[in-house]
Amino acid sequence: MSLLVREREDAILVNLELALMSTEAVVPEAAVPEAAEPEDSPAKTTERAAAAKRGLFQEQALPFMDQLYAAAMRMTRNPADASDLVQETFVKAFQAFAQFQQGTNLKAWLYRIQTNTFINNYRKNQRNPYQNTIDDLEDWQLGGAESLTQSTSTRSAEAQAIDHLPDSTVKDALQAIPEDFRLAVYFADVEGFSYQEIADIMKTPVGTVMSRLHRGRRMLRESLSEYARERGISAVNADRTAATPSARSAK
Amino acid sequence: MTDCGCDKAKADLEEYLHREVSAQDFEDITEHLATCDDCSAEHLVGLTLTVTMQRACKEKAPDDLRAAILSKLESV
Repeated sequence: MSLLVREREDAILVNLELALMSTEAVVPEAAVPEAAEPEDSPAKTTERAAAAKRGLFQEQALPFMDQLYAAAMRMTRNPADASDLVQETFVKAFQAFAQFQQGTNLKAWLYRIQTNTFINNYRKNQRNPYQNTIDDLEDWQLGGAESLTQSTSTRSAEAQAIDHLPDSTVKDALQAIPEDFRLAVYFADVEGFSYQEIADIMKTPVGTVMSRLHRGRRMLRESLSEYARERGISAVNADRTAATPSARSAK
Repeated sequence: MTDCGCDKAKADLEEYLHREVSAQDFEDITEHLATCDDCSAEHLVGLTLTVTMQRACKEKAPDDLRAAILSKLESV
């Protein structure tokens, strides 16, 4: 551990100790009598403070484990790498916990660490030739739905068809869109982060976040609707089958 | 409070869905959606996309991951 980190940790331990002194007047550090009681030896104090810090971190950060794991699955695409990523995220977060400002958004802070870790450790292992140029592509190069020309009833049927798709299909479709788009969509739609929070997590301007979201959602919608059409999953088909039982038995 | 019309509603539907519009725009678009079948159908597709993703992406961290993290935190 570097000296700087150790100093910072010591500082937070002192703060924690002070915070733990309930209603008693806070005694200036220099005035604390040396070795008042045997249990207050420096080693014991440090030990207790470390336990308090760990306890606080566990209480506040561990509830986000399922969410971070779900995000890690969408990032790395497999359970083993996702587990490694989440574990690394928690270790890094714990080591940096002193820098986290209590009262600010812990979830966004954890996601920032996980996203950084993912980009630094995992992304370079993946082949993705579009990585640096994807934001510069024109819309027509990406393909996507031309939704504005659809009729109202077609749209209602489309919504119902998407609603009926199996989870695995939705995950596959999400996995197939370019990574930066996928992460923006995931952060906004699944995690409910604000555009500004996503910009902070992904270290990009808000305008880029909006563009990635828009394009990512459009590609996802197109691929899900196409899948539904191919499989004949649509509200129109379902209604027809239900209305005419003979048609179903004839199949 | 005024109905904003189709053009504005369509242009801002995604930001509306993500609650990234002003309070005034939110009211105006909500009012427009209440009376316009076309825009509300488009909004329904967007909303369904979001809800479907939330449903599909739910995961529970494996028990051994939880145990590994707890023991790691003890040793850091």
